[in-house]
Amino acid sequence: MEKVLSRFAAVSTDPYTALTTWKQDTGRKIIGCFPMRIPEEIIHASGMLPVVMWRGNEAVTLGHSYVHNFNCGLTRSFIDDVMKEKLNFMDGMIFYRSCLQAEEIPSTIELNAPPSHFLYLYLPPLYPGIPFRDFLIQELKRMKQRLEEWSGQEITNESLNNSIEIYNKNRSLLKRIYELRKKRPGTIKAREMLAIVHSSMLMDKEEHNSLLESLLPELEGRKELTGDKIRVVLSGGLCQTPHTAILDLIEETGMVVVDDDIYTGSRYFANDVTLGDNPLESLADRYMKKTPPDPTMGDWNTLWTDYMVDKVKENSAKGMVSLLIKYCPPHLCYYPDIRRRFDKEGIPEVLLEVEHEIVSLEQVRTRLQAFIEVIKGGA
Amino acid sequence: MRQQFKINRLATTGLMGPMVDKHWEELRTAKERGEKVAWCSGVPFIFAYAMDMKCHFMAGYSAYCAGRKAAEQILEIAENTGELPDTCSYHRLHMGMAEAVKNGIPVKEDVILPIPDLMIAGRVCPEMSHYAEALYRKFGIEVVGIELMTPYQESDYSFLEPFVERQFKEVLIPKMEEVCGKPFNYDRMREILTVLKKVATIRNECLEYFKKVPSPWTLWDYGVSLAPVIYLMGKPETVPYYEKLKAELEDRAKNNISAISPEEKYRVFWDGWLPWGFLGQFARKITSYGANPISGRYPWEMFPRPDLIDPEGDPVRTFVKALYTGTMLGNNMAKPGLSLMDKIVPEYNIDGIIFFTAKSCRIWKGQMTMLNQMERRYGIPGITLEADMADGKMFSEAQIDTRLNAFFEVLEARKEKRRWI
Repeated sequence: MEKVLSRFAAVSTDPYTALTTWKQDTGRKIIGCFPMRIPEEIIHASGMLPVVMWRGNEAVTLGHSYVHNFNCGLTRSFIDDVMKEKLNFMDGMIFYRSCLQAEEIPSTIELNAPPSHFLYLYLPPLYPGIPFRDFLIQELKRMKQRLEEWSGQEITNESLNNSIEIYNKNRSLLKRIYELRKKRPGTIKAREMLAIVHSSMLMDKEEHNSLLESLLPELEGRKELTGDKIRVVLSGGLCQTPHTAILDLIEETGMVVVDDDIYTGSRYFANDVTLGDNPLESLADRYMKKTPPDPTMGDWNTLWTDYMVDKVKENSAKGMVSLLIKYCPPHLCYYPDIRRRFDKEGIPEVLLEVEHEIVSLEQVRTRLQAFIEVIKGGA
Repeated sequence: MRQQFKINRLATTGLMGPMVDKHWEELRTAKERGEKVAWCSGVPFIFAYAMDMKCHFMAGYSAYCAGRKAAEQILEIAENTGELPDTCSYHRLHMGMAEAVKNGIPVKEDVILPIPDLMIAGRVCPEMSHYAEALYRKFGIEVVGIELMTPYQESDYSFLEPFVERQFKEVLIPKMEEVCGKPFNYDRMREILTVLKKVATIRNECLEYFKKVPSPWTLWDYGVSLAPVIYLMGKPETVPYYEKLKAELEDRAKNNISAISPEEKYRVFWDGWLPWGFLGQFARKITSYGANPISGRYPWEMFPRPDLIDPEGDPVRTFVKALYTGTMLGNNMAKPGLSLMDKIVPEYNIDGIIFFTAKSCRIWKGQMTMLNQMERRYGIPGITLEADMADGKMFSEAQIDTRLNAFFEVLEARKEKRRWI
């Protein structure tokens, strides 16, 4: 078990080595996808490896010659990695806009250090009206066609459905691990869970599935945490990984994470794709699901706050930790609603504004300790 | 002692204030006359105008609010009601204004907005839709969403236009008809487009005068004159305004009168938003070096291709064409933006570029790349000024002064290399 967990942690903390090795071993192409919405299954069906773009593991230096320092960590860090030639193993990159900063990356890369293959997609918001779904399918077709050109391999309905099955299996295995954590909090540390999900974004899915299958029974045998730990839910980190040091701090200060609403967590594997005769339409249907609510998707009717409150209640959690990535406009614009709603519900919530650069952990510790006092005071 | 410079003000631009004030006053008092009101981000306000709704335009209103020195007060209301300070200042302005009106918090009277019957979320940038979504959640105001994606590159126009046209026809127009209780007025839309075409054509003739050395007008003058080619769209009085402006420029050009007195020392490209809340402040600073900003991506995105507008045909289709093929929605992206600069820098004899970057808005993409590219391609230096379009807390005056000083020292040192002397 520890070997599998170490493997996941190694991939998550050093994807550069893991992917370079994978590429050398397999001779296959790697395609970077901007986080959140790109249907990786289509890339998988083309025989190439889709990997979700990540926030790197070092301070931004060269990147600041290409992007303003008041952009979010993912934007700055990804551009920095490209300019430092750390991502040369990526054969292609696919972008779309989820926010204004997501629009900054593609042209910066294409104009300064273009990969061999490059695609900018227009993925629409979840606005009511038939034109949006039609346009989405049109864009997925364009993506499929481009991937066929890049890989020299036709993507058939059969191969796409096969990839969808592999991805659905991965989602169901990840869900089982989450269920296990819910039932037996503390069995899996927050940083371990992050590595499990994050490595799924960076590894061949079949290999990840097989590792998860070997891991699950062993995790089930792990001892549950004992003691008076405060159950909390994490939310935020819409498209990038939170610092593991902060996750550790949450646990060190006396809390246990029972569930989450973060991208490198439950949001990544939230919905399966229904298999059907037209797999592109099936992928579009998954894209158009309104849950978990996503503040980047323009859906004003499905309340993210309802989803968060339900998550806290169904997990019998005592509070929620909001991880707001510094300069993340969709989260910034939504946050006042979250604050108001949690106040109204009488559920403690704490805001941690997190940056790509090293944050002051002692400051975070103080906030978390105050948060615990609030929870205990209300208990 | 450093040479003293000043702007020779145009007489015509003084006529714009009352026109703009009248527009916002008509909107402010619309409910008293039983008129329907919409708030709109992006350009779909034309559809509200065609239905005789009074409609605000998000960026235009924010500029007006900042120009009227009301931003600070409204931003404070927003922050007191939970908005976070890094959020887009235009978003915060609208959240603060809605809060003030709903809860009777006093604000400067001339910037008050009535709570709308409908919010048209024209998603040119996602933040432009977040305020509508937030106001729906907070006050239950009805929303209609339109995706106005910014084209990444020119070759994408062909498949983006049919999607936007469908959204206007299948989503927005039915919603307008439902809210207004009457069929959509295509003829009125044609009338508005007819006036717009005329005004934008004369405006383009005025822009030609920026090419003259010395230029008879400044970007600050043009900034004041933007409303007729955007939210005053279709107002008949906008035509004589631009006719007068053109005549005044013609006269100045004939007599070789420079906008900067006693001489135009440097010709500058201004990238990014115009700093609406601090226009006078920036104009004075830049002018003090004898510099004249004569072009920029933002002012160049106001219907630059009126020749593509065909009011006699399908008004919706021609409007969409003006937005995409007409390059109205693309300049803020790096690739189309670079194409524009490649055209403008040599044609307008630009000496240097000031990249104005708003800390709460990242809509002007590619600035750092452009800075590098312009230096490489034309030997044109550039600087970035970090500030904001409306929030005074987001900039340090001393830092801006230091950067401007350094920038103009570089321009002075390169004077001999100027292409246009």
